[in-house]
Amino acid sequence: MSGRGEAIEELDCFGSRCAALVIGCGRAGTAGQAAALARRTLLVWHRRYSRFLPDSELSRLNADPRETVPVRPLMARLAQAVRDAGLLSGGLVDGTLVEAIERAGYGEDLRGPALPLASALELAPPRRAAGAAAAKRWREIDVDPRAGTITRPPGVMLDSGGLAKGLFADVLGEMLATHASFAINCAGDLLVGGAARIRREIRVESPFDASTLHTFELSHTGVATSGIGRRSWLDRHGGPAHHLLDPSTGRPAFTGVVQVTALAPSALDAEIRAKAALLSGPQAAPGWLAHGGVIVFDDGSHRLVQPPPAAQPPPVVTLGQLLPHVRLRAAAQEADVATGALAA
Amino acid sequence: MSARPRSAAQLDARALARARLEAMRRRTRRIRRSVAGLAVALFVASFAVVYVQLASGHDPALVANARKRAAAASAASSSGSSSSSAAGESTTGESGSSGESSSSGESASAGESSSSRNGESSTGASAVTTSQS
Repeated sequence: MSGRGEAIEELDCFGSRCAALVIGCGRAGTAGQAAALARRTLLVWHRRYSRFLPDSELSRLNADPRETVPVRPLMARLAQAVRDAGLLSGGLVDGTLVEAIERAGYGEDLRGPALPLASALELAPPRRAAGAAAAKRWREIDVDPRAGTITRPPGVMLDSGGLAKGLFADVLGEMLATHASFAINCAGDLLVGGAARIRREIRVESPFDASTLHTFELSHTGVATSGIGRRSWLDRHGGPAHHLLDPSTGRPAFTGVVQVTALAPSALDAEIRAKAALLSGPQAAPGWLAHGGVIVFDDGSHRLVQPPPAAQPPPVVTLGQLLPHVRLRAAAQEADVATGALAA
Repeated sequence: MSARPRSAAQLDARALARARLEAMRRRTRRIRRSVAGLAVALFVASFAVVYVQLASGHDPALVANARKRAAAASAASSSGSSSSSAAGESTTGESGSSGESSSSGESASAGESSSSRNGESSTGASAVTTSQS
């Protein structure tokens, strides 16, 4: 608990650092209870949706030989997010490149130190904007939320990656919406919100030296940062590799942009925009940042795209806000962790 | 002992009395029903107002507390060393300022830090950092 009555839970999750910061009481209990709930939920989701755990629900789905597979609601939302990301980005953000990323050398959780970004850029091939894969396998995913099934040709695999982190931040945000203020950090994908509309500093870190490039102050926003600096390595041929692939080649993308931070109404939207901006290269990147963001280029310079004045949502009471207990219960049941905490 | 036979006038008077009594009871029932219905309607209406207010996250007590905390944090930070907030801008007060003010527009820069903010209530919350995952 911070000095300002803010409960903070930090944890290692999704191969990175995650955090939940909550101020005030709400449907998830006190600030401390809400932050602890977020922590437990993240840990459950990590076990369930990690590509690196062979018994995770995601791994079982990817290995399932059936065409139609019954899944949990959150898995259905993830599959829908993969499809939506492909549609919205014109195929640039492709969450079905599991085989390609494993071929590139990212078949297990990266534990060692990353290849320094400056070294990777020196060794990298000529820069070019990424493009969509010819196959566009994300189009073959069909989600039936009512039946709770995913239909896809066996062999089409889902990568939890950044899309899942954005989605998880959004789902946790739904659970914490009635608290005065909250921030969920899912390994770089953030959702900031709360009923009291308290502004919060959001610092954008440089991929070169971890200095702060820019500070936004916003009360409600999704934020996502995609970059090629942290999860990078030398491949078997000694070439630099990282986890953001050019879908058209299946190889790590070097586009001239090394990091993009995107603002958007939701963390998932921000994640799609950040990845699409990075993959589309320096010329097209600003076009993806309709809600604002920061683009960092190969040479270390950065470009700020200011959020538009209307970026903040008006204080409209939605039906979902009127029935927070219903939404919270659904999310809690999905997480299988919260019911007891709420009862207590 | 047999009852004395009653005259027609007596019978009419008794019937009239019964009718009046019945009418009085009906009126009582109607008034009771009206009062009960009105009370239930009033309760439901006031409950709905309070429920909507709380469920939509606009709990007056919570907001007041958050404002107090924010004001205290703002006072503490302004009385201390210089902060990262834009100079000359109030850091207290509820939303209502016109949109957004920022220290820089869309710009290109190398190696320099900057900040931007919008017109919401002041910050009482910890900063968060976004970095590539």
